[in-house]
Amino acid sequence: MLIFNRKHADLWTLLAPPAIWAIHFLVCYVAAAIACAKAADIFASLHLLRIIILIVTLLALGLITTAGLQARRHWGFGTDDPPYEQPTAEVRQHFLGYATLLLCALSFVSVIFVALPALTITDCR
Amino acid sequence: MARLFWVMLVAAAILWVAVLALAFHARRRRPSPWQPRNAGRLILWAGAIGPTLLLCALLVYSLRLMPELRAPGGPLRVEIRGEQFWWRVRYHPPGGAAVESANDLRLPVGQRVELSLSSPDVIHSFWVPALAGKMDVIPGRTNRLVLEPSRTGRFRGACAEFCGASHALMAFTVEVMEPEAFQAWLTREANPAAASAEQGGQALFLKNGCGACHTVRGTPAAGRVGPDLTHLASRPTLGAGTLENTQENRVRFIAQTREIKPATLMPGFGMLPEAEIAAIAAWLGTLR
Amino acid sequence: MSRKPTARKDADQARREAQEARLDAAWETPKSFRYWSAVNNTEVGIWYTATSFLFFLFAGALALLMRAQLAVPENDLLSASLYNQAFTLHGTAMMFLFAVPIFEAVAILLLPTMLAARDLPFPRLSAYGYWCFLLGGIFVCGSIFFNAAPDAGWFMYPPLTTDTQQTGIGADIWLLGLSFIEVASIAAAVELIVGVLKCRPPGMRINMIPLYCWYVLIVAGMILFAFPPLIAGDILFELERLANWPFFDPQRGGDPVLWQHLFWIFGHPEVYIVFLPSIALMAMIIPTFARRPIVGYSWIVLAAVGTGFLSFGLWVHHMFTVGLPAISIGFFSAASTAVAIPTGVQIFVFIATMLAGRMVASTPMLFAAGSLAIFVLGGLTGVMVAIAPFDWQAHDSYFVVAHLHYVLIGGMLMPLFAGAYYYFPLMAARKLSDRLGRWVFWLMFLGFNIAFLPMHFSGLRGMPRRIFTYPGGMGLDWLNLVSSIGAAIFASGVLLFAWDALWGWRHRAVPPRNPWGAGTLEWLNPLPGPTYGVRSVPEITSRYPLWDDPEIMRRVDEGREYLSDAEEGLRETLVTSVLDAKPIQCLRVPGNSFLPMLAALLTGAVFILTTFHLYWTGLAFGVAALFAILAWLWTGTSLIPEKAEKDIGKGTRLPLYASGPHSVGWWAMFITMTGDMTAFASLIFAYFYYWTILPVFPPLDAAGAPLGPGLFWPALAFAASMTAWGLMLWARRCNTAGRPGGLRLALLLSALFAAGSAAAMLMGPWEAGLDPESHSYPAAVWVLLIWAAVHYGVGIIMQLYALARSLAGKLTREHDIDIRNIMLYWHFAAITGHVTLVTVALFPLVG
Repeated sequence: MLIFNRKHADLWTLLAPPAIWAIHFLVCYVAAAIACAKAADIFASLHLLRIIILIVTLLALGLITTAGLQARRHWGFGTDDPPYEQPTAEVRQHFLGYATLLLCALSFVSVIFVALPALTITDCR
Repeated sequence: MARLFWVMLVAAAILWVAVLALAFHARRRRPSPWQPRNAGRLILWAGAIGPTLLLCALLVYSLRLMPELRAPGGPLRVEIRGEQFWWRVRYHPPGGAAVESANDLRLPVGQRVELSLSSPDVIHSFWVPALAGKMDVIPGRTNRLVLEPSRTGRFRGACAEFCGASHALMAFTVEVMEPEAFQAWLTREANPAAASAEQGGQALFLKNGCGACHTVRGTPAAGRVGPDLTHLASRPTLGAGTLENTQENRVRFIAQTREIKPATLMPGFGMLPEAEIAAIAAWLGTLR
Repeated sequence: MSRKPTARKDADQARREAQEARLDAAWETPKSFRYWSAVNNTEVGIWYTATSFLFFLFAGALALLMRAQLAVPENDLLSASLYNQAFTLHGTAMMFLFAVPIFEAVAILLLPTMLAARDLPFPRLSAYGYWCFLLGGIFVCGSIFFNAAPDAGWFMYPPLTTDTQQTGIGADIWLLGLSFIEVASIAAAVELIVGVLKCRPPGMRINMIPLYCWYVLIVAGMILFAFPPLIAGDILFELERLANWPFFDPQRGGDPVLWQHLFWIFGHPEVYIVFLPSIALMAMIIPTFARRPIVGYSWIVLAAVGTGFLSFGLWVHHMFTVGLPAISIGFFSAASTAVAIPTGVQIFVFIATMLAGRMVASTPMLFAAGSLAIFVLGGLTGVMVAIAPFDWQAHDSYFVVAHLHYVLIGGMLMPLFAGAYYYFPLMAARKLSDRLGRWVFWLMFLGFNIAFLPMHFSGLRGMPRRIFTYPGGMGLDWLNLVSSIGAAIFASGVLLFAWDALWGWRHRAVPPRNPWGAGTLEWLNPLPGPTYGVRSVPEITSRYPLWDDPEIMRRVDEGREYLSDAEEGLRETLVTSVLDAKPIQCLRVPGNSFLPMLAALLTGAVFILTTFHLYWTGLAFGVAALFAILAWLWTGTSLIPEKAEKDIGKGTRLPLYASGPHSVGWWAMFITMTGDMTAFASLIFAYFYYWTILPVFPPLDAAGAPLGPGLFWPALAFAASMTAWGLMLWARRCNTAGRPGGLRLALLLSALFAAGSAAAMLMGPWEAGLDPESHSYPAAVWVLLIWAAVHYGVGIIMQLYALARSLAGKLTREHDIDIRNIMLYWHFAAITGHVTLVTVALFPLVG
């Protein structure tokens, strides 16, 4: 699987966390757009939608965390320090793991940011 | 909203000065450069963690503000249609008949007024900077905007989405009045035009077909293509904020319409004799 | 003294000179009129840069006209019509004819040198992209001299712009210009992805590539997902203008907001597409003048990838005032806020590197500093407008004009000028004047701030955008006058630069090798560098080889590294593996040819003739263009080498031919088709968008049943398509098994079934009487089916091409690039066809 149990880090494992963010974003946006486009009353409560967004958000955060744990393993748990510039396969792996870990942190925070509107905005106004 | 703006402005100014001061300091030659590990910590804390926290706080604040700004208005509702290149205004007072006007919006102070916004032709945008953010008027959809003016006065509004050659000439005025004054005005506005001394002007108006596009209640003129002119003389401007409402400008507007407002739907009537135009303009000037 | 050492030295010298002569001959720049048939990255890159710069000056002149008109209230220097053309063309030319092309130009020039490659993997493709760009740009910019320029803003919102009464041929010309840039950009994306991932020097692992390469790799990926929605939107837009199909007409089921979505899904990533490659130059420049490697290489990777992804979640922030639900707006406000995080990280990486270094002053660093000052301010106002309630005031006002110019000038233009001063010696073997450079900088920096800082205030005072004049007495008079004066000062700085860059440098001395003392490979060569680029391709063991390996220049110069010769007189460069840059192929790249220019002129002619409604002539030129492209492919691609392997030096032998996922051509097909699928996905999005906004979708016919192409014809088309696809798989199998007869038969049969499928696709809506002019639904159904059918048509041409190649003995069991690439195309085409058929046939049953 791309985000856990992979022996080798590569560009796909690097891009997985922001891709999860992107899919989360799309799901939230499309769900809300359809819910509000089809809503007869814009002041009706969006209870179901907000639950869906909560579930999708928790799922995305879980997947990103999983990817982050794998990234940490690829990074070698921080046994060596940056810069990861040595011309060896091991250091290349540590670099990819580290960069992926940073991307996991950014993606995690960004998923939370995107989910925040569902907290304070409860209808389609 | 104003508070939000000032907070953001002050924070932005402080951050800009701080980052630039740091960059300036970084540019200078120094005997002992920073250790890369400490420089890396700067990136983590000042570049990533600090901004994340600040941005999160700002975002949450604004997300709570948004539904408040869109809370329903009423009971007064005003329907506004942006057309090339003027604003059709239709008041729907609670429990009363609709009153049609154009380009000059009047509102009572201290009340939440619900605006319904639409367009029959192209995209425009309704914006009164002093009172609220803007809302686009888009063919095929009806948007809503709530205005809650907190002080009386006259304010300028403008079209804020490019809509054609005369986009720059599609302004309007908003006059905010005390509630009693507003009621009185609305009652007057609902009345048809008073019989006027300038009968000659009225006859010329009808003879030259102006009534095919313009409504003047109390006369046979009932066209709906152009603005309602029933109380034209009570408006501060002509041509959607383009000219001051004077006799001379009324004459100019009738004679040289498309020189003043390119691509407008109304043709110019410069082929009419000057005296006729002057008479029509004078009659329009009595439509208080 | 024995004669042997001298003899050996002489022999060695003779060997080297012979090698250099052969390299010179293989990579020679053509002379006289044949100069224009060059395809090498140096020539194409210089043309691209110069042309982009000239369009920049043109768009800048338009801005000066605009500022002259706005200097005083109620001015009549420019009529409304001329002003509207000026501001539209200013934005269009700056974004499409300068900002995007200059990034492509710089990448074409610099990328191979940074990777010690002799050329990009697809030189003719870059040349084709350039000629398309030149033609399109001249056409679009020339229109204003005929009073026929587009005049409704660089984003051309319908319904104003789809109304052919109100918006003249300018809109079609605008679309045309865009089409050229779209083609050139997809071509650039292909070059850059393959170039960065597959054409590196041996040993340059992924953790060691120059940061510029990370940035352009991300940007190339962004292009694949950002430009196609615009392509899809353009198709819908032009169909509405030319054929009256009501995609954006609300009275017939269309929606103007759909255009806005498609445009801004492109438009927002677009600004990051122009910003990131410029910041990438900063990442190359700052370490040089800090005299140390960058601090935070991994953070830059985070920033580039993070910004690249997040930028796709921002587009609705250009539509905050359209009247969308607050919750939807909230998502985009959140993402717009989040994107500031990776953006800010980059700034701190640069500051951290400077703090950890021993800074040396220089003209490039002066521009870098100015860039930081301006960009940070623009980024802060960007956070302000990301906050929707504030944007409801600032949108479409001069506040946004100020913001966008601060981020563009600070984040894109200033770094570009820093890069110009930095890389000029590499290109022209001369430096630009440092003394004049200080003048240029201060005139530009001060002029810019004087022009644009007041605009924040004029916007907040209520000045909307895109107005040809404003009334006096609104508090805008002084602000606008000051802005106009600032613009003139800024322009004088640019003109001073232009003088230096075009003439001033010519009589100066040649600077020493690696004049700035940089550490990265682009500075390996002596100045001026030979036409063949690097003398030999070194093995890399560090991020900053020139700093860490003091012997590298000597080894490379003495031809002791890879590819030190051109024994067959052909142009060669190395293909390496993605993560570890192990050499896997010696790639022969094409040399000079007029075919790319011819193909560009012919394709261009098709677009131009269509703009003027000369459809039959356009079709004729289209056929001619097709033949030009086929000739180009036939003579320049999948060439069978005279031997299977070649010695590239240091005891390494590499294959000369690779097919399937190992071949760069396969990658190019994959990358192009990814872009194609994104455009297709955008059309599918449009179909379902109508479902969300219309109460009844599909609309019902007289009997109350939902309209649609029926089930029979789509089912037939589906079956024929599956057969065609299966036959293609069989064709490839036959070829691998060495059965040319089976291959040819399968290709022919597959083409027949594909043609049948395409015909059946179009019969469905035809027989059902779906009238695309009547409503957006039949128009959407027709556009999807035509899109799929055209893709099958292109696939059939490919199949016939493969058939011809097989008959000519150029497609064989061992040399099977053609069939592998065409099979890949057919996978994508089949997905397109099948998804289309399932959607249009089955959705009416459930929707």
